[in-house]
Amino acid sequence: MSFETQYNLKSPGVKRLMREAKELAEPTEEYFASPLEDNLFEWHFTVRGPPATEFEGGYYHGRILLPTQYPMQPPNIILLTPNGRFEINKKICLSISGHHPESWQPSWSIRTALLALIAFMPTSPAGTIGSLDYSPQERKNLATKSLDWNCSSCGNISQKLLQAPPPTNPTQEESTLIKEINLKAEEDSAKKEGGESKAKEDEKLEEPVSSPTGDQSTLRQRNVVDGSASAVSVAPSATDSLLQASIRSVNRDKFWSTIIWVILAMILLLVIRRAFFL
Amino acid sequence: MKMADKSESSTNSDTPTNQDELILAQQRKIQQEISDTIPLVGPLDQISSLESEYSTDTIYLAKIKDLSSKYKSIRRTRPDGNCFFRAFGYAYIEKLLDDKEQFSLFYDLVEKSKNSLVALGFPQFTVEDFYDTFMEVLKRINDIDDASDAKKELHNLFNEQGYSDYMVVYLRLLTSGQLQKEQIFYSFFIDGERTVADFCHQEVEPMYKESDHIHIMGACSVLLTGVRVVYMDRGGNTSVTEHNIPQDRLTPDVYLLYRPGHYDILYL
Repeated sequence: MSFETQYNLKSPGVKRLMREAKELAEPTEEYFASPLEDNLFEWHFTVRGPPATEFEGGYYHGRILLPTQYPMQPPNIILLTPNGRFEINKKICLSISGHHPESWQPSWSIRTALLALIAFMPTSPAGTIGSLDYSPQERKNLATKSLDWNCSSCGNISQKLLQAPPPTNPTQEESTLIKEINLKAEEDSAKKEGGESKAKEDEKLEEPVSSPTGDQSTLRQRNVVDGSASAVSVAPSATDSLLQASIRSVNRDKFWSTIIWVILAMILLLVIRRAFFL
Repeated sequence: MKMADKSESSTNSDTPTNQDELILAQQRKIQQEISDTIPLVGPLDQISSLESEYSTDTIYLAKIKDLSSKYKSIRRTRPDGNCFFRAFGYAYIEKLLDDKEQFSLFYDLVEKSKNSLVALGFPQFTVEDFYDTFMEVLKRINDIDDASDAKKELHNLFNEQGYSDYMVVYLRLLTSGQLQKEQIFYSFFIDGERTVADFCHQEVEPMYKESDHIHIMGACSVLLTGVRVVYMDRGGNTSVTEHNIPQDRLTPDVYLLYRPGHYDILYL
């Protein structure tokens, strides 16, 4: 590697990334990540779709952008392979990645971020930024298609991982990670007021791997930020609730909107009939 | 119809993402301004230099007068949420440099600390990273014979963002480890439903999280030292309030000035 000459090896951040590159040099069954040849602060990764989910059999490739203050600041994750869970070419929103810097811990690593990504793929998107809510069948189709997906700098991604079948149960580290991040979400939702929070809490109890950030927690975070950044006050939370509303309408009301369209079409038909056959 | 809905939701979701980026950019700008103007650990200043910050506030002015009768100087730290750990680490190591024997006891203590953190379940790979840098700093200072030269090196290293933040992280990990090791005791200091482990993951280990009494207790207990916190706020009387941590230790190694939300270092 040419990094030795390119970067200041005395910087603890650079040292840390070199160390991580060494630790992750060998692919595993579940993930593989390595820095670009000419940039220690940009990595490419491949993860295997978690077994017993609609992502099983899929390979997902993406970029990891590391801030200059890494590991004090979290890495940013961008997926490149269409997957139906996260938008592609967009920094995605996990408790562990760049959109929630206050929950990142310097003792987490790129490996931790990849494990969190794998663990989060089957969770419900709940309207968080960068999330998609495709149907299981659409996701399965994308998983099959991903086998032929190529990265312009890494080539065919399905060859990147070890080929042994992955363990079906989440590793201990994954489960602790999910638990930890999940606790944060529950704590956030506990702060909510009104009856809605109770309903959500109950939902969470039944579903062990629920979403990392409910809409409320995203809103709460925004509001906290608003206090310090007065120049961009009010607007974000307003647009955010608009977004939440629109996502909800897309997700839940497809059925109703279809019915409305059918009725509208019938009225139109009647009007046309009246106009032409008077 | 379906298509229309989908494209509408995707244009809508662009807006908050951009807002998010805007807010993050704004936050970065504020942080940048703070880091451009205030060093991580500043030079020694007179206590009276505080007066310029409160020129119209009679309560504070009276308290500054009281403070200057008890302490000679102040060393400011950058208000980035890490100020307790940075001030504590700097002041304690600086104090140890006056006493080689004490320093080597501290060195041995830290040297053994990594294994106990790993035993507590911290990820070995990253703990080692912070530990190595912490030990490197201690070695570099220890190798300098002259105490005042060693203090200069300490000052330089604590003002180099990379080293300084690594010191802070390791102190945070040590504190977290201590709280979790004695979690029955510390659970009485935590409000609400959170366990000590949750508290540590959310309030102790992440950078830029401000410190409370419980953080100071943990840090003192793991490094076998004592801190005196001098409280200065707009409350009632004209004198500052002093508080020893742990309570029964009357000769602290580190003196910190606490004004709501921020710690600086004090010198007798």
